[in-house]
Amino acid sequence: MSDLTRLTPGVAVLLQGNQALARGALEAGVALAAAYPGNPSSEILESLADSASSAGFHAEWSANEKVALESAAAVSFAGVRGLASMKQNGVNVCLDFIHNLAISGCRGGLVLVTCDDPSGVSSTNEEDARFVARLADLPLIEPATPAQCLALMKYAFELSEAIGQLVVLRSLSRLSHTRAAVTPGALPAGRPRPHWDPADPAQRWATLPVVPRHRVMKQKLQQAGQLMAQAGLNQYQGPERPELVIVASGSSVLYAREAIGLVDAAARVGLLSLAGTWPLPAEILAQRLANAGAVLFAEEIDPFIETEVKAWAAQQGGALAGLSFHGKADGSLPEVGELTPGLVAAALADSLGSPWRSVEAGYLERARATVETLAPVREVGFCPGCPHRASFWAIKQALAVDGRQGIVSGDIGCYTMGHRPTGFQRVNSVHCMGSGLGVASGLGQLKPQGFDQPVVAVVGDSTFYHAGLPALVNARWNQSDYLLIILDNSATAMTGFQPHPGTGLTASGQAGQAVELEKVCQALGLAVEVADPYDLEATQAAIYNAVRQGGLKVLILRRVCALVQGRRGGHPFKMRIDPAKCRGESCGCNRFCSRVFRCPGLYYDEKAGRAAIDEVVCVGCGVCRQICPAGAILAEGEGEAAA
Amino acid sequence: MASSPAVAPAPPPGGGLARLRAEVLDPGLCVACGACLGICPHLIFHDGRVAAPDACGLDSGRCLDLCPQAIAPGPEARRQELAQASDAPWWPELGPVRQAVWARATAADLVGQVQYGGVVSTLAALALELGLVGEMVLTQAGLDGAPEGARVTDRAGVLAAGGSIYAAGAGLMQVNQALASDESHPLGLVGLPCQAWGARALRAHPNYPAARRLQLVIGLFCTLNLDLRRLRAVLDQAGVDQPILRADFPPPPAGVLELTLPGGLRQIPLDDIRPTVLAGCALCPDLSAEAADLSVGAAEGQAGWNTVLVRSAVGEKLWAEALARGLVEIQPLPEETRGHLLGAAQAKRQRGLMAGKERRHV
Amino acid sequence: MKALTSDPLGIVITGVGGQGNVLMSQVLGRAFLAAGYSVTVGETYGLSQRGGAVLSQVRVTASGVLGPLIPENRADAIVSLEPLEALRVLPVYGHPGVTVITNDRPLLPLGVLSGQERYPAPEELKSSLAGLCGRLYWLPATAVASQLGNPILANLVMLGALLATGLVPLTPEQIDAALGDLFPAPKLALNHAALRQGLALAREG
Repeated sequence: MSDLTRLTPGVAVLLQGNQALARGALEAGVALAAAYPGNPSSEILESLADSASSAGFHAEWSANEKVALESAAAVSFAGVRGLASMKQNGVNVCLDFIHNLAISGCRGGLVLVTCDDPSGVSSTNEEDARFVARLADLPLIEPATPAQCLALMKYAFELSEAIGQLVVLRSLSRLSHTRAAVTPGALPAGRPRPHWDPADPAQRWATLPVVPRHRVMKQKLQQAGQLMAQAGLNQYQGPERPELVIVASGSSVLYAREAIGLVDAAARVGLLSLAGTWPLPAEILAQRLANAGAVLFAEEIDPFIETEVKAWAAQQGGALAGLSFHGKADGSLPEVGELTPGLVAAALADSLGSPWRSVEAGYLERARATVETLAPVREVGFCPGCPHRASFWAIKQALAVDGRQGIVSGDIGCYTMGHRPTGFQRVNSVHCMGSGLGVASGLGQLKPQGFDQPVVAVVGDSTFYHAGLPALVNARWNQSDYLLIILDNSATAMTGFQPHPGTGLTASGQAGQAVELEKVCQALGLAVEVADPYDLEATQAAIYNAVRQGGLKVLILRRVCALVQGRRGGHPFKMRIDPAKCRGESCGCNRFCSRVFRCPGLYYDEKAGRAAIDEVVCVGCGVCRQICPAGAILAEGEGEAAA
Repeated sequence: MASSPAVAPAPPPGGGLARLRAEVLDPGLCVACGACLGICPHLIFHDGRVAAPDACGLDSGRCLDLCPQAIAPGPEARRQELAQASDAPWWPELGPVRQAVWARATAADLVGQVQYGGVVSTLAALALELGLVGEMVLTQAGLDGAPEGARVTDRAGVLAAGGSIYAAGAGLMQVNQALASDESHPLGLVGLPCQAWGARALRAHPNYPAARRLQLVIGLFCTLNLDLRRLRAVLDQAGVDQPILRADFPPPPAGVLELTLPGGLRQIPLDDIRPTVLAGCALCPDLSAEAADLSVGAAEGQAGWNTVLVRSAVGEKLWAEALARGLVEIQPLPEETRGHLLGAAQAKRQRGLMAGKERRHV
Repeated sequence: MKALTSDPLGIVITGVGGQGNVLMSQVLGRAFLAAGYSVTVGETYGLSQRGGAVLSQVRVTASGVLGPLIPENRADAIVSLEPLEALRVLPVYGHPGVTVITNDRPLLPLGVLSGQERYPAPEELKSSLAGLCGRLYWLPATAVASQLGNPILANLVMLGALLATGLVPLTPEQIDAALGDLFPAPKLALNHAALRQGLALAREG
């Protein structure tokens, strides 16, 4: 990333939405920014970490999102500004804290950024985290462009400070990863000194007594609504008496504007662009919907605004109650997956009674049919040289020779792909961060009731610290019976190689204090073994022996992420197929290396009639030479480095 | 894994690994002879168990063709083929038999050191010495007590591997691996009845020309074989130190399994051992390794002696040489013992065939 | 500032993770911004390092703010670093008049590597693409890049080819300047060379 303090105020630059959010926080004088990595949010904290020493504040990768938000809230209690950023899943991790924080309130500006991921492009779900604003009575801000990301981030801090409450800012994967011209403003000249006056009754950050404080929480939301209305966050553009008004938020504002142009309906259709969506902006809604014939809602993921506006309109009665509403509820727009300009245009055209097509139907049919017949899917998979491929291979082999139908529970990280063919479909359950350990903990209690299958949990090193630790403590305490395999690739690889407690480096690349996996597990009284997943036989034996012995055990499979290794100078080998040994189809292995092991660096050369190495793709990890029954895969450079 | 014997689902179309899995592996009927191992990466063996982790995607394969536990061709058809091919006198209970005697080794380093009469070790070592074979495959206890195949080339190697542990060791895997090497010398095998049948299938397989190198099979009498992991669990329960160095079923009426352990001898009642018998062994109709060149077993009622059945021309040649060199001494098989042996073989045949019929009919 | 051939101008850049797709869209976006246009660059990634398809969109207008997505079937040009990916995006962004510029070097999907699926023959793929676009540039960009010393330079070769189509009112020098912001000086010369080779390649073809 880059140091965003170096941008020149007033000079437009191309910034990613996430960078614009970070710059907004810098301009707002943030004192502490904390996050846990997760696409599509990671670049916010990365940019802030790169800017932290220049700007003189603290930025950190926290062990999990809840700790991140708690840390940010703490500096707010001390009167300065705090930011916690996360992907939608992270909001769930924080939820307990959020509900109590909303009652206690806060002091310095405090903003929670959630980057939601429609279509789950880089997520295991497509959750709409805006629910948290409704649930905890928090103001909700939804920018539509990178420029708004910067401006509304600053505004969110001001609003938070004005009402003494956490403010939620919602971005989207599309917005977070969009680059557009952004004109930076000035950075603050000085910083307030943080101080928390323990004698000040207004600085008692607790939730008791609950009912009076709950009342204050409601009042804060109402006050936020007034301030947001005054700030003019929400804009209307279009005819005074439109046939239809599109109510849109986030990226959908731009899709809606474009859709009106696509169906050539500017004279008939208005656009109400909402950037402050909770509490509902009742004033402008009443003003603009009263004169409209119909309403179309365009928003990402859940019909959040749609549902609330419909409930509100029913309460209002009169003309508003009689409006016809279109959106996700009536099927005008899909309930799942990301919106697009074309989807909004089609919904708009349908609502206006004049169907619209993006292109002639014949073209679409031909193009789709061609793709259908010619284009094989591009399945995601572990990178060439990825230690996870080797780990799952060993797990598969060991559980097969064990023969008791072992179960593997997993969770979130690159190793989630263990449930895909690239991981030999050897992961049987995937849910949230750390859930693999919890699931294993429960399964590991069933032996007395006749459950005779061995239980294995796989967890990444970063995920282990995030949410695995409490589950392991639980398993130890209650004497659950399973094998925990920690896939230690020394990075938060899925999200861009951020450091984590085990690496000992902090977000800004400084030395922190490493928290060692072995010592943590040993402190729980657990037997810990370490193996190198690149050594398939030793890893298989370690897994097999552990599941045969039974009992709660920890096996650390340690090998640095292949991409990180690539940056550190690469792998030791140059791989080659020995044409004299690979017998192709006459071997009987039926392309064991390319078909079963499935490393993208290996393919079957139909013309030559044998396996081949794709030299552009292969990184030279050497693992595949252990699986060829004919010993035909050779590693040149062997002996120069440990295998 | 279901371990109920005699339950095979309808075979899938084609043969190969998918059918091997359906007929043998998944129903728990594999006896770990090793015939399918070492020829294909899709079949692996560890700690007494054969597994096939992935689909191989082919609808034929030597793995199924060589498996003595596969439904086709079945033990009766195989035995008929053997009867037609053999020019030895055919004993209805014991298959081809040219000679049947009691015997024991005369070498001082064998007497009392190896199981029973030491005949197997003597013959294996002699075959190597004569150059009849360049390499012998035997089964020995591995470092962790799990039986495993061993390839030996001299008498010392044979002696080091002496003794059986009555648990599956997949010895034919070593045969397959030896056949895959660049060597050209003939190979020999000491194996159980299932392995002798597997070896016969190897030698006859049209797509396995290298297997013609397998020239000598010394068969071992076998009443049952044990599942190593279940045996270990029973021994754990009984508080027995492991690994097991050697295991003997002394002839009736002992009624025990005698274990040689790091801490000395230990006897386990047969009743405790029965649950550890490999389910697949119930399908086996062959007590005396009929498909071998020579078969050797414990001599009933005559401690320190073996019963030897000489079956083929190759076996007879080896046996004649052993006698000529005075490496073994013999005495006639008593009528009563012979009767018991025939009865036991007949009983096993009937039980095995009956179990096979049930399997077919399910 | 030259007038755009169409306003808004929409360019889809597609390929497979690790091919330098996102960098290409950034360079193009910076060059447009420096030339005075309003530009929006949308990037889709997440599993980009793991062999999945990666798609960027560069949208340009003389004035105003554009959304990150090109409306369905309204791309002016599709630049693909991998030929199959060019085909895959046509139902979403293509139309009978679209210009397709593709690298001819296949990157085989896992299902193809493992023998379960088939990758179309080059001629089959080429003729299918030709039948679904107005203009097709089928270019050996990886081969050219490898001759220059590194297959990763295929992205700059493709960018040069895009300039040759006349759809983009930018000069190679304007792209050079944008590259200067992103690469250390020693690496610039190779990138400049790749850009110009791509330009020449597309003009010949």
